[in-house]
Amino acid sequence: MRLAAILISISGAVAAIGSGDQAAAEVKIDSFTFGGLEARSIGPAVMGGRISAMDVIIRDRLTIYVGAASGGVWKSVNGGTTFKAVFDEYNQSIGAITIDRSNPDVVWVGTGEPWTRNSVSIGDGIYKTTDDGENWEHMGLKDSERMSKILIDPTDGDTVYVCVTGHLWNANEQRGVFKTTDGGKNWEKILYIDEDTGCGDLAMDPQDPRILYASTWQFRRWPYFFKSGGPGSGLYKTTDGGKNWRKITKGLPKGELGRIAIAVAPSRPSVVYATIEAEKTGLYRSDDLGETWQWVGTTGNVEGRPFYFSLLLVDPTDFNRVYKPGTMTSVSTDGGETFSGLGGGTHPDHHAFWINPDNPDHLLVGTDGGLYISNNRGVHWNFLQALPISQFYQVSYDMEDPYNVYGGLQDNGTWMGPSRTPSGILNKHWDNIGSGDGFHAYVDPQDPDIVYVEYQGGRIQRRCKSTGESKDIKPLPGEGDPEYRFNWNTPIHISPSRNDTIYIGGQFMFRSRDRGESWEKISPDLTTNDPEKQRQIESGGLTPDNSTAENHCTIYAICESSSDGNVIWAGTDDGNLQVTRNGGKTWRNVVDNVPDLPPCTWVTQIEASHHAKGTVYVTFDGHRTGDMKPHVYKTTNYGDTWQSLVTEQIEGYCLSIREDLVNPDLLFLGTEFGLYISVDGGAQWARFKEKLPKVGVRAMAIHPREHDLILATHGRGIYIIDDITPLRHLTREVVESKVALLTSRPAQMRIPASVQEFPGNDEFVGGNPSSGAQVAYYLKKRHIFGDLKLEIYDAEGKLLSTLPGGKRRGINRVNWHMRGKPPKVPPAASLVPQRFSFLGPQVPEGTYGVKLIKGKQTYEGKFDVVMDRRADYSPEGMALQDKTVMKLYGMLERLTYVVDTLLDVQAQARDRIAKLDENEPLTTSLKDFVDELETFRKTLVATRKGGFLAGEVQLREKIGSLYGAVNGYEGSPTDSQVKYTGVLEKRLDQAEDRLESLLSSQLDELNAQLRQKELEPITRMSREEWEAKQAGS
Amino acid sequence: MLRKASVLILFGVLMCWRVPVNAGEPKTADDVIAKHIEAIGGRKTIDGVKSMRMSGKSLAGGGMEIPITIEYKKPNKVRMEFTFQGMTGIRAYDGKTGWFVMPFAGKTDPEKMSADQVEMIEDNADPFGPLVDYKKKGHQVELVGKDEIEGSEVYKLKVTTKSGNTEYYFLDTEYFLPIQTKGKRTFQGTEIEYTVSYGDYKEVGGLLLAHSIQQGGMGGDMTFEKVEVNVDIPDDHFTMPKVEKQEAETTDKEKPATIDKQEPPTKDEG
Repeated sequence: MRLAAILISISGAVAAIGSGDQAAAEVKIDSFTFGGLEARSIGPAVMGGRISAMDVIIRDRLTIYVGAASGGVWKSVNGGTTFKAVFDEYNQSIGAITIDRSNPDVVWVGTGEPWTRNSVSIGDGIYKTTDDGENWEHMGLKDSERMSKILIDPTDGDTVYVCVTGHLWNANEQRGVFKTTDGGKNWEKILYIDEDTGCGDLAMDPQDPRILYASTWQFRRWPYFFKSGGPGSGLYKTTDGGKNWRKITKGLPKGELGRIAIAVAPSRPSVVYATIEAEKTGLYRSDDLGETWQWVGTTGNVEGRPFYFSLLLVDPTDFNRVYKPGTMTSVSTDGGETFSGLGGGTHPDHHAFWINPDNPDHLLVGTDGGLYISNNRGVHWNFLQALPISQFYQVSYDMEDPYNVYGGLQDNGTWMGPSRTPSGILNKHWDNIGSGDGFHAYVDPQDPDIVYVEYQGGRIQRRCKSTGESKDIKPLPGEGDPEYRFNWNTPIHISPSRNDTIYIGGQFMFRSRDRGESWEKISPDLTTNDPEKQRQIESGGLTPDNSTAENHCTIYAICESSSDGNVIWAGTDDGNLQVTRNGGKTWRNVVDNVPDLPPCTWVTQIEASHHAKGTVYVTFDGHRTGDMKPHVYKTTNYGDTWQSLVTEQIEGYCLSIREDLVNPDLLFLGTEFGLYISVDGGAQWARFKEKLPKVGVRAMAIHPREHDLILATHGRGIYIIDDITPLRHLTREVVESKVALLTSRPAQMRIPASVQEFPGNDEFVGGNPSSGAQVAYYLKKRHIFGDLKLEIYDAEGKLLSTLPGGKRRGINRVNWHMRGKPPKVPPAASLVPQRFSFLGPQVPEGTYGVKLIKGKQTYEGKFDVVMDRRADYSPEGMALQDKTVMKLYGMLERLTYVVDTLLDVQAQARDRIAKLDENEPLTTSLKDFVDELETFRKTLVATRKGGFLAGEVQLREKIGSLYGAVNGYEGSPTDSQVKYTGVLEKRLDQAEDRLESLLSSQLDELNAQLRQKELEPITRMSREEWEAKQAGS
Repeated sequence: MLRKASVLILFGVLMCWRVPVNAGEPKTADDVIAKHIEAIGGRKTIDGVKSMRMSGKSLAGGGMEIPITIEYKKPNKVRMEFTFQGMTGIRAYDGKTGWFVMPFAGKTDPEKMSADQVEMIEDNADPFGPLVDYKKKGHQVELVGKDEIEGSEVYKLKVTTKSGNTEYYFLDTEYFLPIQTKGKRTFQGTEIEYTVSYGDYKEVGGLLLAHSIQQGGMGGDMTFEKVEVNVDIPDDHFTMPKVEKQEAETTDKEKPATIDKQEPPTKDEG
């Protein structure tokens, strides 16, 4: 029992298969085939994620629309206490949000983040809701890729201007300023420079909506380089709603310009500000409606990273108060001549900012680390902790129970957190274990207290979790070595074959067998080593920007074969795919064998098969050169030949792939637009949609003990699909059958931990896995007519429970709580205030039978129930608990029989009283009898009003509480509990005797008198009658 | 909040009828509703229903099976009872007054519902749901179009109830039976969203009724084992009983023998 109850995999694959539908030629596998299998979001929201856009409107309360850089649109109707995702079925990269002031139910969302860092996602046009975020309609500009602002004519909600930044990695024509006058049905491109130049920013005169200021921006990103600025950049003005534009140059810097942000002072629209990226970047001001400009000042937040921060705001009431969000937000109170910083406390990198027009002390700021609110003009900030939009790059797990997940995030370090907790997964359950931008993190297989973490550019550290001590263990060049190059997101790999071996990839493959104390270089330069792609020192354009984000010609993916430690694969960001079959002595670049793959396509993941030695799956990602197509390949011969697994069902460039640990035909593919699953080795794919938005799935892991699929999303935190065992059995044969029971992992009776806490509603809480046994089955078609239920049987074939079944097409999961029926409890003044008194006793470990009844058909299967593997009860203790809890269970039922009998007799007596003359002696006798019974009843059950707080405890409450206490702990009950059970049983015996004597001493006499009056005698129900009544209720 | 939502669902009981005929693609909400009425038994049968009693069980957390009974009487009376540890809770509406008895914490007196609770029970005091005779009942229904619910093709009907709440009905395109409803309503200033699935349709006395109502997952699943049509239920069964002033029991002389420590509320894992 208990500890010995290691998960034994369930016997047999598919327990029962229904009659196959012979007629159906090809059953389509689509998202609904996976049915009710759901992804579980566990956050975290403790660190937020990058927020790229925001709009707010003041109604009864503050309504806030937040656009996450790659986590969709979130809406709060209570000023930021709670948020709801309202855009999950659409593109998750948000560039601009604007609420129509004249009709706030209309909201426009422009997709495609305009803050063009290396890890930025892509959009797919503009959307509109007319019902306050309930439903969204795509309104065109599909090829825009990204947009930075949407402005609505305050006098006409159908007239909308959009600042389309356009493609980041290649040229395109759908960029510039677009205008619609019919609510988005038709768009006119009203300002366009060329296919390399987009719109940078757009501003409207608050008094005259025909006056608009637009900046154009020439920019381009390569996998290894970024350039902001060029002859296309400039500042433009229209006074006729965009029919005619004039380029503004007076007072502006000469030479090439970069990104320009514009802000018109709401309280004095003749005052216009602009931050202008140039040879000498600064804040410019115009006092004549943007006609002439002068340089007024600058500060770090004005100059720094214009491609990433190009936002400028003027206080709604004070035209000299200017906010410049940047690495932090600077504020000028003198029209831009001098700046000071707002208060600290926020995460750096401010991209979205709102000033309450009615109360300029009230601010909101969206950062790389989430959303903050200030009530004192930015001196102090509250973090809004309800947004699970964290941007993970990687994910791993440990073998603790419950297991923890680990992973690194964009600008938010590296974190670990539990996969379940008694209270749900709260922000406080997450621990930070690394800083900077975080990526790979792995627990040392030899020491669970050690974790390898890294920050950007391959800065790997070995961290002791318990002390927090970190040691830098990055490989450093030896004598005669070139400088080492490491990717922004440097691959670390733990050997599956030797638990002392870790790898890290630069341009060389490094291997350590002493926890990073020393590194062995086990490869030559595996990259193209193209010097043209190693100019990151010059990257940035007008403003140099070398954060290691453009490091190139580096290894990006590493995978050692799980069956042969000498077979190691390496994929590089410049498109090489290398394999060694002798532990690194010789390497072979096999990328040329991959058919139809554009040259130099980034290798995002290599997954060596767990089942066949020469089999490998590889995802390639060409989006950084404008190739947005999916690329996923498989080889079965170490890379000699490759087969594309791409089908038209896959949307988005490919980021990650996993082959199932058990079923080689079950594949998981992460793309920029979600998770795709194949159950037939990649012949067909379908997007997994249940509770999982169209968010980039950067990495995945399958927990080998729990059989969970863990997803690192870049924008929506970590998701877990609990127990993928049913998917492993979703073969073609099953999919074609009408009904099939599917195997699940053995059900663990988890220790029912509980906590007392009242955290309010302002925090995201990650869900827990189901605490019951999950019975899974597949339906080819939705069930509508007749019964669909499950019956659970014990080993002896006794029916324990009947459960309603799910009816949906695809996989259904039904939860069984692994407990018997709750005991019968006599009615009284309130519930027995003990949680476990409500529940039946836990069932023993063992194999249970299940019958799926669908109409007239029955399908039978079996499943295993095991103890919590952490439980450490002695067999004797468990046996005593079982005996005691069943004794108390029986006592509660006995007491219920006594009380029900008493109540029944009382009711009959009252009925006869009502039929008798009040002055009859029999009436008095009956009343006395009823009263005597009532006095007795008051010793059996609590009868005083006032519920728990009346504090009344009679026999029912004593037995009920004791039953609950013993029922809540599966090990040995205490000596006190056992003895007290005996004490209470004696009292129960006495109560039974007392009832017996009360009835036998008086009933015969009373009934004789009733008969004389020709009234029905008072009967008492037998225990058998009572039981029959209970069963019927 | 969850509990309120499940109560809402508890009253969202819908009934439906025989397998329908398929004659042409419906173009309007009225077309769909006509087929729906036909599907659940036809106008005559529906009009013949004066009262109804549905008995079954609700599955609550921890595997608790709670016996429930829902009784309807036309035009707009409803009473729902559920029993736990020998005590019975009641929620009822007699066409005017919504009331409830929740004896589980020691309060046995009936209490009046708040205005938004009344609105909720009023909207759900109708055994055939808002689609049947929607105009007469003051609701608006719009055919949004075809949609897909959990992989099944449906007609999506948008219902704006008399009280101003929006609810979507998803009717299977083959059988014109609701397989799901989705809606939200504001309750004490908070928006509650709900999704209810209907299944196990069975014929009872000429009506086709959903015998399974599920709130998706745990807690809100109801299965009806017995449905009786045109049972005799007196009107006052739905009326709020008079509250007796200060019962003698509050001045009970008997003191309880011992006082046990009260357990604080706890959260369950999972």
